[in-house]
Amino acid sequence: MKRKMNFGVIGLGRLGKIHTLNLLKIRDVRVKSVADPRMEEIKRWAKGLEITEFVCDWHRIIEDPEIDAVVIASPTVFHAEMIRAAVENGKNVFVEKPLSHNLSSAKELLNFLEDSPVKVQVAFNRRFDHNYRRVHDAILSGKIGKPYLIRSTIRDPQLPPLEFVEKSGGIFFDFFIHEFDNIRFITSSEVEEVYAGGNALWDERIGEAGDYDTAFAVLKMREGTLCVIDSSRRAVYGYDQRMEIFGSKGRVLILNDRDTNVETRNENCVRYDNPKHDFQHRYADSFAAEIRDFVDCLINDKTPSVGPKDGYKAMLIAEAATQSAKKIERSKLNIREISHPSRDERNCNKN
Amino acid sequence: MTKKDRVHVAVIGAGRIGKIHVENLLKIPTVDVKYIVDIRVEEVEKWSKDVKVEKIISDAETAIKDPVVDAVVICSPTDTHADLIIKAARAGKDIFCEKPIDRDLKKIKEALKEVEDSGVKLQIGFNRRFDHNFWKIKKLIEEKKIGDVHIVNITSRDPEPPSLEYVKSSGGIFADMTIHDFDMARYLTESEVKEVYAVGSVLIDPKIGEVGDYDTAVSVLKFENGAICTIDNSRKSVYGYDQRVEVFGTKGSAQAYNDRPTNVVLSTTDGVCMDKPLYFFLERYKESFMTEMREFVDCVREDKSPLVTGNDGLQAMAIAMAANKSALEKRPVKIEEVTT
Repeated sequence: MKRKMNFGVIGLGRLGKIHTLNLLKIRDVRVKSVADPRMEEIKRWAKGLEITEFVCDWHRIIEDPEIDAVVIASPTVFHAEMIRAAVENGKNVFVEKPLSHNLSSAKELLNFLEDSPVKVQVAFNRRFDHNYRRVHDAILSGKIGKPYLIRSTIRDPQLPPLEFVEKSGGIFFDFFIHEFDNIRFITSSEVEEVYAGGNALWDERIGEAGDYDTAFAVLKMREGTLCVIDSSRRAVYGYDQRMEIFGSKGRVLILNDRDTNVETRNENCVRYDNPKHDFQHRYADSFAAEIRDFVDCLINDKTPSVGPKDGYKAMLIAEAATQSAKKIERSKLNIREISHPSRDERNCNKN
Repeated sequence: MTKKDRVHVAVIGAGRIGKIHVENLLKIPTVDVKYIVDIRVEEVEKWSKDVKVEKIISDAETAIKDPVVDAVVICSPTDTHADLIIKAARAGKDIFCEKPIDRDLKKIKEALKEVEDSGVKLQIGFNRRFDHNFWKIKKLIEEKKIGDVHIVNITSRDPEPPSLEYVKSSGGIFADMTIHDFDMARYLTESEVKEVYAVGSVLIDPKIGEVGDYDTAVSVLKFENGAICTIDNSRKSVYGYDQRVEVFGTKGSAQAYNDRPTNVVLSTTDGVCMDKPLYFFLERYKESFMTEMREFVDCVREDKSPLVTGNDGLQAMAIAMAANKSALEKRPVKIEEVTT
């Protein structure tokens, strides 16, 4: 009989917990070790779960010879260092997006990972969502012809806490990055030009922190396809995630998933359920599918379908969007021309 | 001005849209269509055999100067609009003018000055403001049901590209097609545009690119009140005329879908199938053309101010020009850059 894959999970925040629970459902996987500085809290949360050990220091996971793969779901600033350490110890890596906290470290990481025999997957879970996957396949099979226009709407149900906003790297790195990757995935193409902007319309403190709560990005793809993404950090009616691809033979439209399909009518109006309330619910299946796919790559020695290059390219687009929004204007904002300012330099420019 | 019992109208230009206006005017029991003015007199006579139009002539001045005429409806080619507005205003006639007023902002301003000085009414043919769907969204905004408006998304796609001849003289996709959407955006945000970004592609027909235009475009408008509007346009949608609007605000969102010929849903092993959207603007906006004309006649009869003003025509054209400039120079363009 095949031996079980031993996993370690670093960082047990919202996503670390989701990944742990999904790993525990996979027959071929054992969650050997989880690392998080908030030990007591994590132990309470993990009551009854088949997790062998709890450690405070993530190095213990990486140095554990029994461990085959690590899931990195720590704060973004630690990603690059942890990936490097894991790979040096021969561990396979599943890392949350974004790949790293700035472009230069992501680029270094990319060079380091080249020729590395271990498998690295970046957690762009939307690629595993039933709706987006279906659209991706529809486009590949030519059902809607050549894509002309893509419209994407991404709206969160609740404003994030202000401390989160300050550390997030901005709305384009934190929030749009999923959609940047999604558009690359769905069109099987690359972004040529980016224009982006935004406002702080919900909370002026978000504006004071140099970020936006309402924003847009316009992308021009290599073949001329035009994409427009609109977003809000808050939508009172729930998590709004829609996408439309319009092409030479027709169009496909992804509507929101709802808890039920029940329609209620009264003397005033016809009512449906709101969209699923948050990303945990909307994308629950995709989180399970992405980690299952990663495990499958390990077992069957396949290359993950979403790699560090994808993580880096999404960051490039996010950087171009951030620069565009900050009015660093150029006659043509070509993402290939972008310099790689560090986070600190950006903050200095702002002040 | 006193209230009028009957309104005597001269329609100048009997092309596609002119004929629609004539037909609609004739459905209003208090209206007489005194003149149709068109250089193709015989052709128009043939068309109008069965309709109650008094005179078909080729000279606009005669109609404008006729003291019996209360109002003129201008739907001749765009480059004649401004002159006709000025002549009609000087003759004291109320005016309905198709969009755009002109492609030159200076000429628009001159015409509007004459209108203001003479005190006549001027309504611009932004018929979509009178569409039942968008009208409802506007009401929801006014009733504060959506809260403060943050985002407006407009999709506007034609079923077929126009002829190349038309494209050449159209002033470009932004001035010809998106101009309706620019007006819709101003109407729904209730604010003025600060900055425009527009980008175009030629994906449908390379010949459209060869004459310097785009067939696919995205525009982003930043408004003075902070609202953001995104517009996507295509000259060819195989499934028909696609006209949708979404307004998102602090209390929720409102979305208008396409109207369809029927509501029938066919479900088979191949899936679930519904009618396509109504084919083109003549079908989709049929009712709004009637409503705008009724509204104009009401303004003339009751001495009310029109809901779509000359300034609305001017602002939409200014946005279109900023969009042209933005697409050409690949950068966001402030409205002041084209208006001063």
